[in-house]
Order: sequence, then structure tokens, then C-alpha cells
Amino acid sequence: MSVSVREALGAFKPAAIAVGIALAAYIAGWVAYEVFFPGTAPVQPIEFSHVIHAGDYQIDCQYCHIYAARSTTAGVPAVEKCMGCHKVIATDKPEIQKLTDYWNSRQAIPWIKVHDLADFVYFPHKRHVQAEVACQTCHGEVQTMARIERVAPLSMKWCVGCHEEREVENGRDCWTCHK
Amino acid sequence: MSLIKDLFTNWSVWRRPGYFESFDYSWGMVIDLDRCTGCEACVVACTAENNLPIVGEKRFSENREIKWIRIERYWSGEYPNAKLSFIPMLCQHCDQAPCEIACPVSATYHNQDGLNTQIYNRCIGTRTCAVYCPYEVRFFNWFSYTWDAPLEQQLNPDVTVREKGVMEKCTFCIQRIREAKDHAKDDGRRRLREGDIQPACAQACPTKAIVFGDRNDPDSQVAQMASDARGYTVLKELNTSPSIVYLRRVDQEHV
Repeated sequence: MSVSVREALGAFKPAAIAVGIALAAYIAGWVAYEVFFPGTAPVQPIEFSHVIHAGDYQIDCQYCHIYAARSTTAGVPAVEKCMGCHKVIATDKPEIQKLTDYWNSRQAIPWIKVHDLADFVYFPHKRHVQAEVACQTCHGEVQTMARIERVAPLSMKWCVGCHEEREVENGRDCWTCHK
Repeated sequence: MSLIKDLFTNWSVWRRPGYFESFDYSWGMVIDLDRCTGCEACVVACTAENNLPIVGEKRFSENREIKWIRIERYWSGEYPNAKLSFIPMLCQHCDQAPCEIACPVSATYHNQDGLNTQIYNRCIGTRTCAVYCPYEVRFFNWFSYTWDAPLEQQLNPDVTVREKGVMEKCTFCIQRIREAKDHAKDDGRRRLREGDIQPACAQACPTKAIVFGDRNDPDSQVAQMASDARGYTVLKELNTSPSIVYLRRVDQEHV
């Protein structure tokens, strides 16, 4: 008496198909994520280097991100702010000429947001800046980044972990951060 | 894990009447029905402030309207002597809230401000809380509503636009409370002062029938008005201990 292996495995056929479909969906999802999401370090319209500005020249973060200490958003500087210096400084560099083009055509630079929180999160920069949390705690060592990269996961676990560590008042209440 | 442990140790404390007195604030409201004219300005203000959808005629007829505050009407008597009375009804922010014990995922809970809060992210839409609520002030999003241009421009950025499948209700304009706390901290104040916050309905009320404040503070207008002889709470027999005290209407026939 012989047993056909093919017949014996036949019972597992639906399970095998289900696993196959799940695997294919997983891979498709991963590919879609890689293709359609900008990743942690997207290419910006201008190759602005924080190494030069924040690193070499030690310009304070809040010289450009002026709202950080008094508003919920830190603020991306206006083109006017850039032109304040770059009318005279390094005007021959190709990246600065891109900036000048934006200035002359009176257009805002379409920066790509790297640290993008979900809409249901209330994150006031001012509370954190006034509590003397260094910008680098969340944004990484920005002064060494030629292109801004997101180093923090920006997950709820990561937020609450820090709140618990620093024993923030009401730091674990849902409505402190959610809206 | 610590949260679950806290839950078990604090359970008896949370269920004790009066436990809310130890909270930072105990936000409450006094609605003077003698001043209320039923103009529904509060309803409009709430709709604008909290991104409430306009559900349309068909869904209104299916009882799927979403209005965090509404004017309830009651007719009494026969035609020549028919009498209309009305009462603004909104979430009572009960200190012994029936909805809170019902939620299987703790999406509704009491926070340190004495508010009965709803977390949209955690809500899975069982609608149990709406069944348990004796005041019928919880609303379920049966659909994801959209706003026609240019109306989406007037959405409040401080309030989430709820998607379908979540429960929602009056928050006592928690975004204004949070903003006021932020400003207080900017000024170096630990606590909020009387008058720092006004929910949209109280702000819009032309007759100042709605007064909002901290019931923990004995000097606040709310605490003083709540002890008025006309004061009562709705469905008192259910022992929900609401945060909203109504002041009875003074009728000609009762004087």
C-alpha cells in the first residue's frame, strides 16, 4: 500500500494559498510604502545644509525657526529671511541661485515636511522649548545633517516614554496630546 | 502594565461619590432657563467651533443628526392654553458617568480636569456608551462627512474632523481649555483664572444664560450660581451627579 504525497498534502492547499496571498500582500505593501512615501530623508527643492548654518556658523535654531518658543509650530523661515543674508553672501553658488529664482518669482520654497505629525496630535513647540528640551532631543543632531533626516520614530510610545521619564504634569492624559 | 495596576488600585476611589473634588479643576456649567430664549445661537456656535457635520435632510430623518448641544422642546396643555417649554441639552459631564463604565476600550474616561472625555483614536465604535447615556447626548458617525468648498476653509484646526465609526460628544470645548492653560503657562501662572475660558456656546449666548467655570473654586460664578434655590440637575434620580446645573424657569403661574 502506498500513500501519495501529493494527495496527503492536498488538505493543506487552502492554507498554503492563504499564506501565499498574505506574503504577496506583505511584499506589495512594502514596495508601495517604499515607492509612495518620501522616507525619512526626502530630497528637498534646495539642498539646504544645516551643517553650514547650524554647524559651522553656529546660527541659533530660533534665528530662523522664529515661532518655536511662542507658538505651536516652529515655523519655516520666509524666503525673505534667507535673502536677508544671501543677497550678498555666496550669490554665485547654484543652490543660492535657485533661492534667488524663488525670490524673484515671488514664490515660497516648497519644502517637504520631514517631521510630519498626524492631524489628531496637538504638539506645541513652545511647551517643549520653554521646558528646555533641546531641539536635538527630537530632531537629532541637526547641525551635522547635510540633508534633514527624521531620526525619531514620532510614535505615541516614544512621546509618552519621554513624558513619563520627565514626569510631565498630566503627561499621560490622552487629551494632553490628542485632539 | 502600570496603567492596569493603577486601574485596579484606583477603581474604588474613582467610583466613590465626590472623588472628583481632588481633581485639578472641576469644570462645570450653570444654565439659567429663565434667561434662555431658545434662540439656538449656542447650537450654531458649537457647530462652527467643533467641526460638526451637517448631515442633511435624509439622515436627519433617520435620527443621524449630530448636534452636541440641542434645544429640547416640551409641549404641555391643550390648544388655547398650550405651553412650550425648552431646555438646552448637552453632555452633562457626569462625575459618575454611566458611559465610562460601559466602554470596553476605555475610550471615554474622566481626566484630571473633571471632564468626561472621548478619545476618537481609541474608540472602536461599539456605541455602548450611547446606549448607556440617559441624556442622549452621544452621537455616532455613521458616515465620513465632507464639507463642500469653500466651507472646508472654516474648519477649526484645533479640533479633529471625526471619521466614520467613532462616537463623539460635547467636550466642554477642551481645545479652548488647553489653549488657555498654554497661555497661563506662558505667563508663568500655575492655575487658570475665572473667565479665562468660555466654551463656544457660552460665548455665543446673547442673554448670558450659560455660565462656565471651575466648581472647585468656591468664589467662582458657577459655584455660587449652582447653590441657587432654583438649581436642579437633570435626571437626578439616576445619581449620575452631572456637572451642569440648570436654574428653573420662573413661571407666572408659579409666582
